[in-house]
Amino acid sequence: MHTYIHNIQNKHKLSSSFSFHYACNHDFIGLLTRMLLLLYTLQNLSYKYHFSSTSHHYLSLLSLQTHTHTHSSALFLLQLSLFCYIPTSSSDLPMAVSGFEGFEKRLELRFFNDSITNNNPMGLRLIDFESLDQVLNEVQCTVVSAVANHSFDAYVLSESSLFVYPTKIIIKTCGTTQLLKSIRPLIHLARNVNLTLRACRYSRGSFIFPNSQPFPYTSFEDEVVIVEESLPKSFRYRKASVMTPSNSNPSRAWHVFTASADVEPDETLVVVEVCMTELDRVNARSFFRRKGDEGNSDSAGKEMTRLSGIDMINANAFICDFAFDPCGYSMNGVDGDRYSTIHVTPEDGFSYASFECGLSLYDGGHGDIAEVLARAIDVFRPGCVSIATTYNGEDYDHEVTKRVERVLAKKLGLKCRSRLMDEFPGSGTVVYQSFTPRRK
Amino acid sequence: MGTAISNMLGAGEGNESEHSGVTKLSSSAQWQLHFNGMKDSNQLLVIDFSASWCGPCKSFEPAVRHMAVKFTDVSFVKVDVDELPEVAKEFDVTAMPTFVLMKNGKEVDRIVGAKQDELENKVTKHRGGDSDDDHHQMVK
Repeated sequence: MHTYIHNIQNKHKLSSSFSFHYACNHDFIGLLTRMLLLLYTLQNLSYKYHFSSTSHHYLSLLSLQTHTHTHSSALFLLQLSLFCYIPTSSSDLPMAVSGFEGFEKRLELRFFNDSITNNNPMGLRLIDFESLDQVLNEVQCTVVSAVANHSFDAYVLSESSLFVYPTKIIIKTCGTTQLLKSIRPLIHLARNVNLTLRACRYSRGSFIFPNSQPFPYTSFEDEVVIVEESLPKSFRYRKASVMTPSNSNPSRAWHVFTASADVEPDETLVVVEVCMTELDRVNARSFFRRKGDEGNSDSAGKEMTRLSGIDMINANAFICDFAFDPCGYSMNGVDGDRYSTIHVTPEDGFSYASFECGLSLYDGGHGDIAEVLARAIDVFRPGCVSIATTYNGEDYDHEVTKRVERVLAKKLGLKCRSRLMDEFPGSGTVVYQSFTPRRK
Repeated sequence: MGTAISNMLGAGEGNESEHSGVTKLSSSAQWQLHFNGMKDSNQLLVIDFSASWCGPCKSFEPAVRHMAVKFTDVSFVKVDVDELPEVAKEFDVTAMPTFVLMKNGKEVDRIVGAKQDELENKVTKHRGGDSDDDHHQMVK
């Protein structure tokens, strides 16, 4: 029986949790349940049991043959029927019972820029690192790599990324982190450097393992309550929305909550968030550490960036990458004032990759949005992709949406299965598209 | 400062640096003294380009200090890009922290970003060895 005990201790420096996962032919949980029921019956009754292992296709299927000797044969038969009823084939159970949650929670806080001057342009970047580190501790993540340029600071975390601009903070965390705990302390730290909160945005997809999430992440309604409690009461423009495609299988909704002090969005960049699952297995292999790579996370990360083609998504960007042990990859891309970020959970059964960037629609030198998306998605060749585009201050341009769909269809054979749109006061239009390969 | 002078005095003889920490060079004069003093030396010089407001630099300070204590035969100096902008420009520093590794007055390697494993590896690699180690690798 092949059960992979996946030690993700290096991935989460503050926690030492273990997770099980198994590939589709194995049925560990069915076996475990049967063993437990068996022990229970053995306690009460005495029977002769005969076990046999069936074919190696289903490595851990057991068949049970019994001879009853007591009067409680009816009870036994009831237990036996329950025992046999437990689904044994992989098609009845999810691909994995539990594994690392790749889907991120994303928080964006934007501040008024009236205290930003030529003499004092740094804003939030003046918050001392020790204080930021304490907030990250509360959220249950830690910095593994970082870089700064003249526009912003970029941190690679044990559970994703943190970007600090003069008037904007973006934190994106995966796993079972407590992201919303950061809102109050960050608002407080910003006030210490004379910055007042202007807008807040919280978004996420649908968790692969929703039952593994702690409160309040078990329900979007609860998350919204927690966010609202942390924000100033004066924020008049609030909206929560769950954008659910009617036909997707499995259902992958996009959850957004926005709140702002004013109705006009202040952000100039368009934000694109791409979530990919069912990664191509060959492509995903690039994100496993190789034996004998000297235990150097930075050079292993650089190797993964190169081998996977991530360095070609935006050739202008400086890439700050990190390879986790035994697998997993994160990178932040820095290109002037533009950020990008990629996070990969390559394990079969719950493989996931995300790509996010801020860009301008009419970029010229930085590359057309559709081409950038095609290059990013091509790295992973996923079985399922969703793209959430937030227009912020830009007017919604339907041509862009259609062009993205055309390019992905033509270059990657991905068919758009659903397209939803919603307006968020103070935050702009959000378009949510989902794609699967044409021949699926 | 005393370190720079002792380096200069001991330069041609390949003496090991006495200090075990990161020396901050805050003025042009200090920089010139230290840098010129190391030019004829086989000793590895690691220049840490950072800024007082740079969060990523701050996040990395403990790791750099630890390395300076560990590698007592390597000279670690810190240059603030706002205090010494001409030096930062001379070394083409655009992102921070940037670590430039110098030997015999020539750049042998460079690390951009707070990358612990990479910095430790490259310092280990360059700290001993020949003075002919003349790779001019620009880490993108």
